[in-house]
Amino acid sequence: MTTETGRTLRFNELAEAYSTDLYRYAMWICGNDALAKDLVQETFLRAWRALDNLNDVAAAKSWLITILRREYARTFERKVPKFTDMDKVVIVEGDELEPDERTERDLLREGILKLDPKYRDPLLLQVVFGHSCAEISEQLEITKSAVMTQLFRAREKLKVQLQKDGVTGNVHELF
Amino acid sequence: MSMNFSEFKKLIGADPGNRDAETLLARHSAPEFENAAAEAEAFEEKLQAALNIQPPADLLDQIKNISQQPVRQRSWIPLALAASLLILVGAAGLVWKQSHQWDSVESYIADHYSQDGGTVVAMAKENISDQDIAKILSRLDATADSELSGLIRFIKFCPTPDGRGAHMVVSTDQGLMTIIYMPKTQVTDGEMVDFDQMHALLVNLEHGSAAIIGERSQNVESLVATVRGSLKTRFVGA
Repeated sequence: MTTETGRTLRFNELAEAYSTDLYRYAMWICGNDALAKDLVQETFLRAWRALDNLNDVAAAKSWLITILRREYARTFERKVPKFTDMDKVVIVEGDELEPDERTERDLLREGILKLDPKYRDPLLLQVVFGHSCAEISEQLEITKSAVMTQLFRAREKLKVQLQKDGVTGNVHELF
Repeated sequence: MSMNFSEFKKLIGADPGNRDAETLLARHSAPEFENAAAEAEAFEEKLQAALNIQPPADLLDQIKNISQQPVRQRSWIPLALAASLLILVGAAGLVWKQSHQWDSVESYIADHYSQDGGTVVAMAKENISDQDIAKILSRLDATADSELSGLIRFIKFCPTPDGRGAHMVVSTDQGLMTIIYMPKTQVTDGEMVDFDQMHALLVNLEHGSAAIIGERSQNVESLVATVRGSLKTRFVGA
């Protein structure tokens, strides 16, 4: 196997392992499907160019997230994208949801988009990427106790949002 | 020391998947702990479902295509093309400047933009550094604070009716627009100039003036406050 072939295989493995989660993450931080796609492609373009710098495969996920976050900051932070109509975005599961459950899910999605980035970022890293609190702490360069506080508050805000918007039944029982 | 209920709720509220020994011990210590953990897990399922967006079907293939690109010796081509284009624009501008005198600011704006406005907008793709912006504006005794400099995607010197000025392309939520700073030219403040498919709003500044140019569908007025507030100008002697 040539070096170039090996490099391509390595890159393709990264794309298969992480492109879906990176797209989800990008989508929730920028709220726009076209920009999210651009962000992920740009992330992988930069990753391809710098692949030889990635010595530790175990660090690949954090490395890609860092590239994407920098790219987002560089390109889009000063320009507020228009939010995508989330109904146009296909959801993997739950299409057979009952109307109440669908409303609840839509309110949750709306609440996630409205969250302050300082609460949303750790929540996305935890739920989308399965990061531990220690990994989030390292990724966001904040203390672990700050991560815990922000994660707790993020969920509380989402629960309050659901209650405020009048979702009844299971949600009230839950909280 | 065992965890109290409040501590437990905070812990599982932050990390519902936590399965360390102390948390599990607390969870099984009383029904209210069990209930709180079950509620947190149920919420987590809803949260995961809400976040579960499917990427476009072609995304993975497009990403894999990236690996078909050569890794090295790739970046000089677009750079060379951009440089050639810039030289071409500059040279054309010089020739054009030497062959033109304008009888009004309005005719200058229409003529100038028609000459290279579209080309310059097409070249404005990347962010440029604050230093590059400062370097050009300082030669015109002007500065741009971060509100404006953060929007600038292209800047170059350009001729104006009364000497050298700056031609900037800025990124807005309505797309790219153009600002021409004319350090020694006074205009009729608030005048709108229509030409081709474009319109330009003329704005007097503390010293000199600016034209904010956009397509007719774009609200050029939306940039007035930014230009007035962020483009700091000093008197430039005649």
